[in-house]
Amino acid sequence: MSVRVQPELRNQLIQFGIGDWNACYHCGTCTAMCPLSEEGFLFPRKKIRLMQMGLESEIESSVEPWLCYYCGDCTNSCPRDANPGELMMSLRRYLTSIYDWTGLSKKFYTSELWEIGSILLIAALVVIAFLVGLPAMGYSFTTELTSQGGVKINSFAPIHIIEAFDWAMAIVVGGLLISNILRMYYKIIWKHGHMKVTFWVHIREFWRLVFNFSVQPKFGKCDDKRYWFSHWLLMSGYTIMFIVVVVFLPWFQTEKIVPAWHLQRALGYYATFGLLFGLLVAIAGRMRRKDVKFYFSHVSDWLFLVMLTLTVITGILIHIFRIYGMPFATYIFYIIHMAVLVPMILIEVPFSKWSHLAYRPFAVYFQHLKRHSVPRKTKHSNVI
Amino acid sequence: MEEPRIGVYVCWCGTNISKMVDVEAVTNEVKTLPNVVLAKNYKYMCSDPGQELIIKDIRLHNLNRIVVAACSPRIHELTFRTACEKAGINPYLFEMANIREQDSWVHTDRSEATTKAIDLVIAAIRRVKYHEPLQKRFVDVNSATLIIGGGISGMTAALEIANAGKQVYLIEKSDHLGGQVKKFDLTFPHLSSAQQMIMPIVQKVRTHPYIKVFLETEISEVTGYIGNFKTVVNANSHGQTELEFGNIIAAVGLKPFDPSAIMEYNYKEFPDVITSFEFEEKLLSGKLLTVYGKEPRNVAIIHCVGSRNKIYHEYCSRVCCMAALKYVHQVRAALPDANIFEIYADMRAYGKGHEEFYALTTHKQITFLMFDQQKKLPVINHADRSDNCNMIIEMDELLSGLSIEVPVDMVILMVNMEAQEDVKQVVRAIGVSLCGSQFFIEKHPKLDPVATTTGGVYIVGTCQGPKDIPDSVAQARAAAARILATIAQGSVTMEVTTAVVNELLCCGCQTCISVCPYKAISFDENKNASVVNEVLCKGCGTCGAACPAGAIVSKHFTDLQILSEIEGIMSMSYKAN
Repeated sequence: MSVRVQPELRNQLIQFGIGDWNACYHCGTCTAMCPLSEEGFLFPRKKIRLMQMGLESEIESSVEPWLCYYCGDCTNSCPRDANPGELMMSLRRYLTSIYDWTGLSKKFYTSELWEIGSILLIAALVVIAFLVGLPAMGYSFTTELTSQGGVKINSFAPIHIIEAFDWAMAIVVGGLLISNILRMYYKIIWKHGHMKVTFWVHIREFWRLVFNFSVQPKFGKCDDKRYWFSHWLLMSGYTIMFIVVVVFLPWFQTEKIVPAWHLQRALGYYATFGLLFGLLVAIAGRMRRKDVKFYFSHVSDWLFLVMLTLTVITGILIHIFRIYGMPFATYIFYIIHMAVLVPMILIEVPFSKWSHLAYRPFAVYFQHLKRHSVPRKTKHSNVI
Repeated sequence: MEEPRIGVYVCWCGTNISKMVDVEAVTNEVKTLPNVVLAKNYKYMCSDPGQELIIKDIRLHNLNRIVVAACSPRIHELTFRTACEKAGINPYLFEMANIREQDSWVHTDRSEATTKAIDLVIAAIRRVKYHEPLQKRFVDVNSATLIIGGGISGMTAALEIANAGKQVYLIEKSDHLGGQVKKFDLTFPHLSSAQQMIMPIVQKVRTHPYIKVFLETEISEVTGYIGNFKTVVNANSHGQTELEFGNIIAAVGLKPFDPSAIMEYNYKEFPDVITSFEFEEKLLSGKLLTVYGKEPRNVAIIHCVGSRNKIYHEYCSRVCCMAALKYVHQVRAALPDANIFEIYADMRAYGKGHEEFYALTTHKQITFLMFDQQKKLPVINHADRSDNCNMIIEMDELLSGLSIEVPVDMVILMVNMEAQEDVKQVVRAIGVSLCGSQFFIEKHPKLDPVATTTGGVYIVGTCQGPKDIPDSVAQARAAAARILATIAQGSVTMEVTTAVVNELLCCGCQTCISVCPYKAISFDENKNASVVNEVLCKGCGTCGAACPAGAIVSKHFTDLQILSEIEGIMSMSYKAN
């Protein structure tokens, strides 16, 4: 079956950061250079071709953009300055918007007004909730200190309400993300009538999802291992903090000041260090613009970094102020912390840059499903 | 005949010869042969000291025959003949043995290559013994020039010659000057107007006092030879005129390929599938509309139509790639929102400014699609009503490896440049040859690209092969320079090694007349013998070989000379046995 060329698709793609349309003349140097491109899953050249020809369904069913970790070797070796690395990055943004069925992702990626406006709106709601909502519900904060001299944080942010809100948020965001991942699965695996993946293969290959999520071995294959390390620190710190805050909040947000070696504080310190280290490398990289991978920054790239950094810094300040018994400072930064954190989670996790945390390991999983697929016997199967 | 005193020189050609041939052994072997006064070897015989060596020896040892064993005579025969002349002996008393192309370069066994070199040198020594001094001849040149074809090549050459104050007769088949360029809107790569370029040239040619233009005139028979040609032209405006001229330039141009032969393109069936030449008409008219009177939303430009395809023409037409990119700019200017598809087989951007033009064009928001010319051509089909376009092109896209559909409303076929249909008539009239693709053959593809093997006849522009305007103009000016040089000299040197008929032996069978490719032999009824016109004779030797009575001798290729050469080449083999 032949597919229809759709040059108009360019007008959409260009909003996700895709630059020069035809600079690539398909020498294939990028694919040859790429340490991650492999038989059956060749990129970036083939993906650039799909973009040039506007083959929408072929792009949507591509798993390859997620297999690229943007080391920049392709861009550095491109004789036409076509910037294949950034084209792959743009494709990831585009695919994120395609997986999302609400259409919000596209809005956030293509309109700065929408993205920043939504963040500010949610932040304002958070602030109102703390300043108006909680007092209205009868919770009042106190300047009294605990016997250890720490701030009575739970009087300001009642732990059961915060926890309930955390769970609600996690369920909404998780639901959206999971539905998007299902759409991704549908587009990459299910939609292809000519290939069939057995249930057993789904089970057998599942470990790849876990393994790739926790170790990111593909990133490690890129020539520069430093970024794999800093990115892994960031990711592990983030994951630990996320689990602790959502699942174990009552254990984590205590008024009692536990010793520094206590798991509660030790985990928090590790996560903070990992996050700060990774963020510093990324921010410094994007500011220096020396490495190809950091040369172009989309608004969504900066927003994610800035919001995460603000979350971490305010988190550290809350911790310090709480321990040293400074109630007002603690409360103010708690509000700021939440006013940054909540919009970040709500907007970034299902709709924007954050989602790559889920899409990347799933893509590797899907890649292996595809690899072990068998041709489906249909009367049209010989056409392909 | 004076006693032959032969000097033999064996060249090393650096290591080219000396690596495979023992030049010292060759020298020693031939030193003692009869009539050989001396034999020497030297690193580069063609160098100034090498030539100096020959000149000194001729004077010192009173040599009257020279043999140089070196490279091909095509490369350095003239060099050594000139050296002989300088030393005061007739240049035809020289013979060259080719021990490089015919020996050292093609063999791998040093001792056998050395033996072969000795054979070749002995053959040359035996032959040169019977060489006779020949004298150069000259023929006067008529200063008028006939130019066939009033396109940009013909007109450029005409102006170049006429501006030097020499008469030009320009004959043009159609009723106007300007050729193909007059049909174009813009030119690549600078997108300058073709009209603004060609019209002043047409005007200058029309009004030039030294150019006489014959419109609606075709060339009939041309008689004569370099310097002295004659023809009769029948022109509506001038009546029957007899023209005399010394040189001819053929600038008969091209014919666009007719794509109706290609089934895949359905050229005849779809009115919106048009050739590049038809598209130029649209551009000149200022309206880029489909036959339905609508602006096309999708325009496809298909490259290599009739080119680089064994079924149609194997050669590349050279200009179509850039012309196709030019159309991108023109379509984009007229239809800012249209989808433009460049459907190409390979993008060839060889010329000055072409690669830059290609790069510039890629920014015009177009889609490049590549097909494999050898495997499958794109197919133009009807579109369904739901397709929202006029036609659909189905093709196997090479760079994606996918079978794709391209929606189109107008297709421009970049048709190949073919030779003119009536080119054979011109060939007969002026005596030039055609290559397999029906283009005129130049004398030397690299070193003499505008002359032909017929003296005084030059070929310029697209009748020599597909080319763009700058190349055509360059050829036109080059041919003009060659002609003006012969006119300035007033005479040209003629071939010396011509055929001679021994009237006493000629039986009058006229076989020679029928085999002569240059129409150089006529029959003298009074003497009952054939007569060779030495001006026309190229010394090819065909008549000599065909003559049943042995009455024709080719100068410098007499039976005695050739048989001696054969004896020489065989002499060592006899010795070995």
